[in-house]
Amino acid sequence: MTAEVEDLDHRGSRRLAGAEEVFWYLFAAVTYVVASIWQKFLLNWIIGPLWLVAVVVIGPAVWDRLRRGSRR
Amino acid sequence: MSWAAHQFEVYAVQAHLPKKMRGKVSFWGIWLGDFMPDFLSKFWVYGITVNGRHYGSSVPHQWHRGFPGMGLTHTVFVGIVFTLFLWLWKRNRAFAVGYLLGYAAHALTDVNDSVGTVLLFPFWWVNWTVQTWAYAATVEGGKYLDAAAYYSSLGLVMDVFWLVVVLASWRVLTRDYWRTQIVPADARTWAWIGKVLPERGLLALYRATFFYGLCRMISWTTWAHLIAEPVIDGVKRRGYPFDLSWTGPWWITARSLPHVNPWVVLPATLAILAGVYWALIRLWEPMGRAEAERRAERTTSPTRTG
Repeated sequence: MTAEVEDLDHRGSRRLAGAEEVFWYLFAAVTYVVASIWQKFLLNWIIGPLWLVAVVVIGPAVWDRLRRGSRR
Repeated sequence: MSWAAHQFEVYAVQAHLPKKMRGKVSFWGIWLGDFMPDFLSKFWVYGITVNGRHYGSSVPHQWHRGFPGMGLTHTVFVGIVFTLFLWLWKRNRAFAVGYLLGYAAHALTDVNDSVGTVLLFPFWWVNWTVQTWAYAATVEGGKYLDAAAYYSSLGLVMDVFWLVVVLASWRVLTRDYWRTQIVPADARTWAWIGKVLPERGLLALYRATFFYGLCRMISWTTWAHLIAEPVIDGVKRRGYPFDLSWTGPWWITARSLPHVNPWVVLPATLAILAGVYWALIRLWEPMGRAEAERRAERTTSPTRTG
């Protein structure tokens, strides 16, 4: 229980750690590189950083929701 | 010009702050200072094309780095002027010092291409360049040819060099470093962003400039050498050829402006960088006292009422 509370941040969102964190950063990098090789407009200092933040914030949230849904 | 090097150097500067500044210099100050020279000048280098008509500089390298032109944006002098304005306006030592360090890092890194920067503006309006690789932004070639030339030359080595500098200081990218060194120096900014982002998003935002630099380096290099099909000297090729010789690549004419002897540039650049650090180390305590005085004035001044 304590570990679960420590894994939550100031907004009650889950923190990422270890392999899961590596996975989401790698996922963001691979998708961004592949997409931007073909669509150069993605290669700018606004979309690039936003891509990472969006993947790291939204990805785990969507994954958690899907897991909860499949348990029910 | 330099590409991902400018993203990596933000973390390199952060990781190599003088001892007494560690945990006290604003990351966002370094970030804004490092990006400001290109924020102010680069939009017109490539320009935009609307309905077949090109709007942009007719001589990109003169506009970007020359004087007359926006070359003054790539000088330590202008960085100092902006920093002074910021300091007089906000009296925020953490941000002002970070801003000047970032600005100086950008202006000094850019002496490496064949155009260089007006390093000693306003005292001497001649460019300073080491000519390590070709400056290749042109009206005809645009961003694509510029990227291809950069990532086929020693520019790629420069990006990798800065990447190695950051990776050698890998702790700068860790959650622990972010919590103990980055957030305290910019607590209000991070708290404000934290109203909309969870902690994993804040940490990603901190790492995002590094992420962008690494990805753009891989993406442009892959495109230039595996995807693009340029015609060079009348021969169609698969990928632009690498050329890691000085002022390469050979297949593009390196743009240049009147400049000083390249041999004096590196020592002068290092001396200016050392001078910036020396001045900031000397000013650190007096700036801290001035900031504390301003804060005390604000807390003791009578509150205005309607």
